[in-house]
Amino acid sequence: MRRINSLYGRIGMLRRVPEESTKKSHTLLASLSFSTEGSYGGDGELQQNSSKVKIFDRDLKRIHRDRAAWLSRQKNDSFVDAVAENLLDRLEDCKKSFPTAFCLGGSLGAVKRLLRGRGGIEKLIMMDTSYDMIKSCRDAQEDSLDNSIETSYFVGDEEFLPVKESSVDLIISSLGLHWTNDLPGSMIQCKLALKPDGLFLAAILGGETLKELRIACTLAHMEREGGISPRLSPLAQVRDAGNLLTRAGFSLPGVDVDEYVVKYKSAMDLIEHLRAMGETNALLERNKILNRETALATAAIYDSMFATEDGTIPATFQVIYMTGWREHSSHPQAKRRGSATVSFTDLQKQFGGQS
Amino acid sequence: MVRLNRVLLKDAGNAIDKTLSEILVCPLSKQPLRFCEKTKSLVSDTIGVSFPIKDGIPCLVPKDGKILEEEGDASKA
Repeated sequence: MRRINSLYGRIGMLRRVPEESTKKSHTLLASLSFSTEGSYGGDGELQQNSSKVKIFDRDLKRIHRDRAAWLSRQKNDSFVDAVAENLLDRLEDCKKSFPTAFCLGGSLGAVKRLLRGRGGIEKLIMMDTSYDMIKSCRDAQEDSLDNSIETSYFVGDEEFLPVKESSVDLIISSLGLHWTNDLPGSMIQCKLALKPDGLFLAAILGGETLKELRIACTLAHMEREGGISPRLSPLAQVRDAGNLLTRAGFSLPGVDVDEYVVKYKSAMDLIEHLRAMGETNALLERNKILNRETALATAAIYDSMFATEDGTIPATFQVIYMTGWREHSSHPQAKRRGSATVSFTDLQKQFGGQS
Repeated sequence: MVRLNRVLLKDAGNAIDKTLSEILVCPLSKQPLRFCEKTKSLVSDTIGVSFPIKDGIPCLVPKDGKILEEEGDASKA
């Protein structure tokens, strides 16, 4: 089955964007922009900083995250917790301690809850695009009476990071950055915000995520409506993750991939879970209408094609973990070409010439 | 309810805490922000925008910023 434009589809019960959000204060000119394309000048008139392609509707994403903050209040999500736990485990592998840490969007609550004093963190700063999400994190902190780490909260956008240069030791982003329009630009801003020898840890969703849902959507749409519209966001591939890190200028980059298969009782449960995580469709190109028959057909195809013996349906989530450090003189650097002092023949003689 | 909020704000004193005031800069121009007592917001003088602080949480999303028409005055939103 040929996929159009290699865009994967994620079904979401699409909400209508309320009118107020577009009538709010104007978008502002940017006199400087930190992007790989170079600066996009502002010349005294109001214009959006948009020299890059806009794929995602960020305002809709804020609304999704507001709703997710309310939906995921009561119970802890095991998938999100597993990803956060994996990310935070990497802190134990470092001898360094990170007094100031900065947490960017995604699953904030899980990161904060599972931190448990790893990495020697004393000050934690939390940022998200959604006000409700930040409020619910702050309320959760007050309820749990765990005030050993000094936490501050503010609302901000990952694409326009309001953090001074060289001010934090550690940046963590668990499942937040795959909704940015300009991922290289965000990563460059993160790198600038880090102190020298600071660590950047991120987990984003990869290209294999929800492939079953994508297939079911495409088939159902072709049958019922004779065409397809993009329903899944374009997600990074593993090979791109390494390029992203080097392009942003991180030294000692590291990428690894993990696949989680989550089982649901029905396709509707999968959609509920996506809503609770705030991961529903926010593509600008999305079709805002979803026919009831198409939705039911998708659920039926999913069941018939992918159901397991005990009647549950699996969904794959591929998570790409990225690690990078800001340059520091203590990092090992590759030597300049032609500066070798020892030849391979010498090495072979030294180590006994076993072939 | 509005009266209750006003009372809480008065007790809040300096509306943002020290860690944030050291780290936060304007999201668009990356220049330092100034805390304006009158409107209880963070003002970026270089581009003339003020960002609100809701319940002690600064909102530094570019869309939430208000353009300031003149020196020190907040425009009608």
